[in-house]
Amino acid sequence: MMAPKLLSRGAKVAVLCSALATSAGAQGVSEPSAWMAETPEQPASVFVHDATIWTSGPEGKIENGDLWIRDGKIAGVGRDLEVPSGADVIDGTGKHVTPGLIDAHSHTAISGSVNEGTHITTAEVRIADVINPDDVNIYRQLAGGLTTVNILHGSANSIGGQNAVAKLRWGSPASEMLFAGAPQGIKFALGENPKQSNWGDDDNPRYPQTRQGVEQSIRERFLAAREYQKRWKAYKAAGGAKSQLVPPRRDLQLEAVAEILDGNRLVHSHSYRADEILMLLGLSKEFGFTIATFQHVLEGYKVADELAAHGAGASTFSDWWAYKFEVIDAIPHNGAIMWDRGVTVSFNSDSDELARHMNLEAAKAVRYGGVPESEALKFVTLNPAKQLRIHDRVGSLEKGKDADFVIWNGHPLSTLSMCEQTWIDGRKYFDREQDLAAREVLEAERRALIDKVVASKKSAEEEDGGENEEGGEEETSAETEGEDPESSTDPEEVAR
Amino acid sequence: MSRKSIGWKRLAQLGPVPAFSRIWKARRTEHGKRRLSERHNLWVGLRSTTSVACVEAAAVARVSERRAQGAAPTHRESISGWNPARAMAWVAVSALMTPALWAGELTALVGATVHPISGPAIEDGVVLMRDGLIEGVGNGIEVPSDAQRIELDGKHIYPGFVHPLTPLGLSEIGSVRGTVDTREIGDNNSDIRAEVAFNADSLRLPAALAGGVTSALVYQNGGLFSGTSALMRLEGWNWRDMMIEAPVGLHLMFPAVVESDDDDDEEASAAAKKALKELNQWLARARAYGKADRADLKGLEVNPKLERLVSLVDGELRLFVHVSGRSQIGQALDWLAEQSFGDVVLVLDYNARYLADRLKEAGYPVILNGVHELPNNAWEPYDAVYGAAAALHEAGVTFCIGDGGSGFGSSNARNLPFQAAMAVAYGLDREQGLRSITLGAAEILGVADRLGSLEPGKEASLMVTNGDPLESITSIEQVFVAGRKIDPDDNHQHRLYRKYAERPKPAD
Repeated sequence: MMAPKLLSRGAKVAVLCSALATSAGAQGVSEPSAWMAETPEQPASVFVHDATIWTSGPEGKIENGDLWIRDGKIAGVGRDLEVPSGADVIDGTGKHVTPGLIDAHSHTAISGSVNEGTHITTAEVRIADVINPDDVNIYRQLAGGLTTVNILHGSANSIGGQNAVAKLRWGSPASEMLFAGAPQGIKFALGENPKQSNWGDDDNPRYPQTRQGVEQSIRERFLAAREYQKRWKAYKAAGGAKSQLVPPRRDLQLEAVAEILDGNRLVHSHSYRADEILMLLGLSKEFGFTIATFQHVLEGYKVADELAAHGAGASTFSDWWAYKFEVIDAIPHNGAIMWDRGVTVSFNSDSDELARHMNLEAAKAVRYGGVPESEALKFVTLNPAKQLRIHDRVGSLEKGKDADFVIWNGHPLSTLSMCEQTWIDGRKYFDREQDLAAREVLEAERRALIDKVVASKKSAEEEDGGENEEGGEEETSAETEGEDPESSTDPEEVAR
Repeated sequence: MSRKSIGWKRLAQLGPVPAFSRIWKARRTEHGKRRLSERHNLWVGLRSTTSVACVEAAAVARVSERRAQGAAPTHRESISGWNPARAMAWVAVSALMTPALWAGELTALVGATVHPISGPAIEDGVVLMRDGLIEGVGNGIEVPSDAQRIELDGKHIYPGFVHPLTPLGLSEIGSVRGTVDTREIGDNNSDIRAEVAFNADSLRLPAALAGGVTSALVYQNGGLFSGTSALMRLEGWNWRDMMIEAPVGLHLMFPAVVESDDDDDEEASAAAKKALKELNQWLARARAYGKADRADLKGLEVNPKLERLVSLVDGELRLFVHVSGRSQIGQALDWLAEQSFGDVVLVLDYNARYLADRLKEAGYPVILNGVHELPNNAWEPYDAVYGAAAALHEAGVTFCIGDGGSGFGSSNARNLPFQAAMAVAYGLDREQGLRSITLGAAEILGVADRLGSLEPGKEASLMVTNGDPLESITSIEQVFVAGRKIDPDDNHQHRLYRKYAERPKPAD
């Protein structure tokens, strides 16, 4: 999955580890960074010329446009730009260029479980602590043009864990994948998931079991956080450590909730039904905080004006529905109606697979409700950037923004197009040509490594006098139980 | 043309009429009678209701004979409530009462670019539909004066998509158990029939229709043999008149062994080995049962599961073998090489690409079940799944494309074309992409005489679009099912859309 020249020691180790990890059933390896040992170089200057450039910015779509990248930032975009001397030149003739795609609802690269399902509020847990930079889905999503993700905790809790906004810098350690300067956020969840509607009959019930209870479980935490703030305020006012007072006990959960009250933590709330959306809007008014996004928000179209009035973004699915009762009224025109009424709308994936073709999700806003193509593309570029408050850096191709862009071999909303290159910070993280070229080399190396493992295992067994076992096929992760047309207890489904 | 005549017209197209004389002839042995009940698919020309009536007639014959022998009705006969007199009445009147196609309708679609799939596109073409069937396709066709004429300049006409594998209609709300009929328990469910749980008013059907899917092979899971599937038209009043053909085949979830060092896999492998043994035992029992039945052994209790399997081992019932994974597919091919079934269709994941040459040699058609899927292994090329269809095509394997149940089972059956499109983006020929969800699917399901392309004599199930239906930005503007225009706005989702699009906006 990398150019042959990059087959360094680190890559070999990673391939070997991966081969071993699969046979051990483990997901990742404890390498600090992913398979590609080195971060791709950042050319001082890159110039893409004569492409159709979908800026998602004020300049709209530019036919025969040029894009100039300097030191990882966009230095210019427009028509007939002068070719800078010394630039790496890419002929964009017949190609389309878009901003790097952004997914405002991802669970990619989370080590272990997405949910902390024990308590109704778990504001203290942090996704940033458990990012696995070795998750191959990062690379797979790069290969679909995705560059930035909002990695969210699951929806088992009315107030869930803290999110992590990250760029898909494949090959970097987790800490370097984090989007520096992106505002902190937190996951909320309303409806069937926090009230445990689909957790199975054997699961011990936990408060709450109703939407009414969900409201109060959130309200109670905000009240507690207010008190917590007061205690600290009083302590600090009295001189803090210099005073004679015992400092309030630090509460990591209330600290995170208090940050919401202070406007320092964005709320991203999983939601489906109009009633619960209005409920949380009411709580936000009572406690004076802003909701950055409602996630999924499949009945957002019923309360689009209310969402717009609050300024809440809507990060929704293009067309999912009917997987549980609270989404029976989900319609594929949801995005179009909310967009028409002034809501900042994005389409999200919530899926490692869907995240590989977010551009095709955007295309459905054209089919269902007739959103203009450039506006539909914003559903997966500028709009999610706005929702995450990182639109000064990413989401559109404008001078001064990060050089996160994608080169497509055709119209970016076409189901028949393919992503050819994906750039982040002016570094080429994905190149289909290089990927294809590296395959044969990698496959040969993988075979050689497996042969070695098999040989060493055999010689060890011979020494032990044990039975000779066949080395076996390397393939282990295929499901054995056959497909399920529609399982009602799919854990992933419950997490949605 | 009267309603009654439609069925007979279709029969004429299909060849010799399976007259009742044949039923009476066949009923002389138990074996023959059973074959009758299995082979009602021969009579689809009679329309599904009529064929059901014929099956009942066969059952009548059977029950009568048993009674003559002093035998009690079998469990199956009694629970079905088959009453000889009632069933005879069915034969007489059902063809008159509930025709599945819409008689008397004559519609001409004029001026569009017609994409028959079976041949090159026709500019400024005409599609003439009468009594639910296509009567003519071309650009020199005279439009009868009594035809309803629909002008479609600048539009495109394609046949409806044939969804090759989905639990559509068997499930309403994924998380609400009472609404889900997609999986039975037990090892051998070969007697289970998908069509009897097909909900004609499922909210999911109009959504699929609006996406151009006009027919679907509906199946259920569960067990080694999960039961038989039914090809359903997605518009109608009840499952009987929506049924195009059933059983289309029996579905086997092949119990392949996973080879690895993982403890969990070891357990699964042991279970799979046991299941394979059971599978072989079931087939051996079926052969013995068939033999005993042919010998007209007195006192042989009717066993519906074995009856179904007799049709299978006799090569009269199509078998769908579901298996995923590279070595697992290989195991299934090894096993199949030792069997002597009739038609076999393989339902495979993308790993089929790694065995493409073997598949080509074996000659089984393949339902490539899912394109929007992740590769199983981290080391595989990122596009291993996207490129699988192209690899199969290149190797000369006959295949069609399914959606793998993704998009939450059947609720997004409407996205089938986008999965085919992904295969095209990653190397499959564009025409093949479209074929893989229309005529190619119909051929594999054995219904290419009725569906999958725009040709005279086929069902008039088609769509009118403003562009390529593989593109998601294309709008599907009109859908016809068996000649009847479906109002794409008249469904749950569009009603909500209209209601809330029209909500008064707040004053500025």
